[in-house]
Amino acid sequence: MPSSNPPTAAGPPKPDPPAAQSDAPKLSGAELKKQKQAEKAARRAQAIQGKQAAAPAIAAPAQSTEAPKGPKVQQQKRRGSTLAARDIPTRSQKAVAAPAPVEPKKEDKTVEFFRHLYKPRMTSIAGASKDVHPAVLALGLQMSNYTICGSCARLVATLQAFKRVIESYTTPPGNSLTRHLTSHVLSPQIEYLASCRPLSISMGNAIRWLKLEISKVDINTPDTTAKADLCEAIDVFIRERVTFADQVIASSAAERIKDGDVILTYAKSSIVQKSLVKAHEDGKKFRVIVVDSRPLHEGKHLAAALADLGIEVKYCLINGLSHNIQDATKVLLGAHAMMSNGRLFSRIGTALVAMEANEADKPVLVLCETIKFTERVALDSIVHNEIAPADELIIPGGALENWADMKKLQLCNPMYDVTPAEYIQMIVTESGNVPPTSVPVLHRLGNESQ
Amino acid sequence: MMGDPDSSTESQSSYEGSTTPPPLSGHPPLHRMATVGNVPQNGKSKSFDIVETYQRLLHEDPDLTMPVAAIEALIELLVQSRAVTVYETLDLVKTQSDYLKSRIPNSISLSAGTDLFQRYMISSLKPSSTGNFETVRQHLLSNGRLFVSRAKAGRERIANYGRHFVRDGSVVLTHGGSRVIGALLGKAAEASASGGNVRFKVIYVMNDARSSESKAVVSSLRAKGVPVATIPEGAVGYAMGKVNLVIVGAEGVVENGGIISRLGTYQIALLAKAAGKPFYVAAESHKFVRLYPLGQYDLGIDQEVIEFKTEDETELTQEEQKFTNMTPKVTERSEYFSTSPLGAPKPNRAVDAVDFTPPALVSALITESGVLTPSAVSEELISVWY
Repeated sequence: MPSSNPPTAAGPPKPDPPAAQSDAPKLSGAELKKQKQAEKAARRAQAIQGKQAAAPAIAAPAQSTEAPKGPKVQQQKRRGSTLAARDIPTRSQKAVAAPAPVEPKKEDKTVEFFRHLYKPRMTSIAGASKDVHPAVLALGLQMSNYTICGSCARLVATLQAFKRVIESYTTPPGNSLTRHLTSHVLSPQIEYLASCRPLSISMGNAIRWLKLEISKVDINTPDTTAKADLCEAIDVFIRERVTFADQVIASSAAERIKDGDVILTYAKSSIVQKSLVKAHEDGKKFRVIVVDSRPLHEGKHLAAALADLGIEVKYCLINGLSHNIQDATKVLLGAHAMMSNGRLFSRIGTALVAMEANEADKPVLVLCETIKFTERVALDSIVHNEIAPADELIIPGGALENWADMKKLQLCNPMYDVTPAEYIQMIVTESGNVPPTSVPVLHRLGNESQ
Repeated sequence: MMGDPDSSTESQSSYEGSTTPPPLSGHPPLHRMATVGNVPQNGKSKSFDIVETYQRLLHEDPDLTMPVAAIEALIELLVQSRAVTVYETLDLVKTQSDYLKSRIPNSISLSAGTDLFQRYMISSLKPSSTGNFETVRQHLLSNGRLFVSRAKAGRERIANYGRHFVRDGSVVLTHGGSRVIGALLGKAAEASASGGNVRFKVIYVMNDARSSESKAVVSSLRAKGVPVATIPEGAVGYAMGKVNLVIVGAEGVVENGGIISRLGTYQIALLAKAAGKPFYVAAESHKFVRLYPLGQYDLGIDQEVIEFKTEDETELTQEEQKFTNMTPKVTERSEYFSTSPLGAPKPNRAVDAVDFTPPALVSALITESGVLTPSAVSEELISVWY
């Protein structure tokens, strides 16, 4: 199959010679010979394909690279760096270094249905544009390895990093801040962040707001004032749309929790946690069931945090859901985004929990800041989603450890799913409790009236 | 779904523009309950008792709904009050409405009125508005009166919208003693200018506990020449096959578009849904209440509907029941004239109990500003309160 290379990579993944050699001393002479043969064959095959694929792909990013050593050197350098940057599933080395004389073509592990969603993830700062601010560089890596995870946390961290960017910005002579900042400084940052992990809906909303805010800066304002004003505006934005919104949501959700309630929640949402903690502080007597799932196991942290406070917590994986839902009286869910057709876009598995709750006639409450509302609609989880590296699904030492070598085996690790609006009784937002049908109204009031 | 443009938009726009968060719905918070004790200390409120006024208003005018009575009582309070500052006035109205709510069992419906009035006051008493306090107050009083008269006229308009749902030859199932339903069906029975009278039949679900009210509704319909069949509550499922549409009234329309109504409405809605019959609710928009129940037991009121007992019911209570039924008395809203005005409100007995019909079961709401889907209620409330 000629299309066996992942279409997402800029160039074909080429085995990294130094890395392969570092492994070499462990191998016997015969093995080494075989390996070299295989490598050679692989390189040859890829060189042919590379000529077709790499040339147009390289043209664009090459413009921003640093070293002006002539076009050829630059191209090669570029290719090497993207290679290190892209975390293409382990197949590159293991497959090639396998003892048998393997044919160089590797099976395409991309799930066809989700092909449009596969994006290589940046896992190191190599290859990042030189315009990217160090704070944003660090943030991108933190996002890509889930150190900063969750729609709101990422939003706040992004805005904070952008504040640093704005602080260290000086308008070049002959330009104005209004015209220059967004296109020349902010855009590379956003691009880099998106390459680390696709931007969340709330980040998109906030970035749109920030761009609008920058465009509103009067052209005659001195640089320092304009920058201070923008930083101030960002602070106010975070305070109003996240910090204060969270407080309002937490207290109105806590109000919904009555003595004797059994609250079921899925994975971990910071706002659900805040609400439960608030209800506990208010002296409500209730139990919590945390339903969790692989591969991220986010619920463990929630369960531990709640248990530390003395709340009675039951932790189960999603395969225990249909049993545990019977004990629950309410289901509280966090959100990644609320779509305009009232559907909830949230951590994968949420739709299952909501459906199960609906089946058992338990009310489902979604806690969501209006910053996460979007005018987009979602009918399924296929068109818009995020595919995480499939290796996250692998248990080290488990049966599927060498899944990349297994023929006809594909792993798919989508991050989100879409919950139908019928399963949701109420959305608790900072501007009141609304049914899912009112999402567009609140979105219009909150995100578009600015 | 657009009504007469001037009256509906006018009444709504007066509530817009305030940034103050709306008061919490449902029961008054506990610390508010504590301030209720201050009420009798006021020299002027000794002569004025809001609960008494409210009940008198309801008693005097059988056509008055609870939210409107509450608003009218609050207007009377304003007339009598000698508060001279905005905050004094606001606080007075707030404490008095909370007091009223705490004294009346099942305060859901009337809280729609008090909340609306407070909201209205906050927006019209804003310091930015023109004139001194006295003119603002006068303006408020006259506008409040206007609101009350408009609310009464609303019923007529609902009847005008709703009559088109009743088609020639259709069979309408209804229950309860809603005045809106009475007006609507009456209007449908009357000959219209366009052509002839609509011939339709009514299946009325009798309520044993309120048989006098049921009988009054049935006889008034029969007097208009509408054939009425009366069935017990147990026969609703049996009768549903012959029904073309269901129309009921409501005590309150909640934020998600569901309704709070006389006990038994929920099961009728469920049966209508199961049989695929449209279920319409006729309600004035002043019954929209800031409440978002998640289920039957989340209404914020105590109802003694399900009571587990090991002792047998004594014969005496049944005798009493019969006796009270025979007594020719206005039983319609007896719970609102309950004795012991200073005692704690009694939990709703099964007779006055209400249930919650979720929005998924409601086909449409017929209000004076048009025919709304349940989801439009939430939008309407958002536009009023934000």
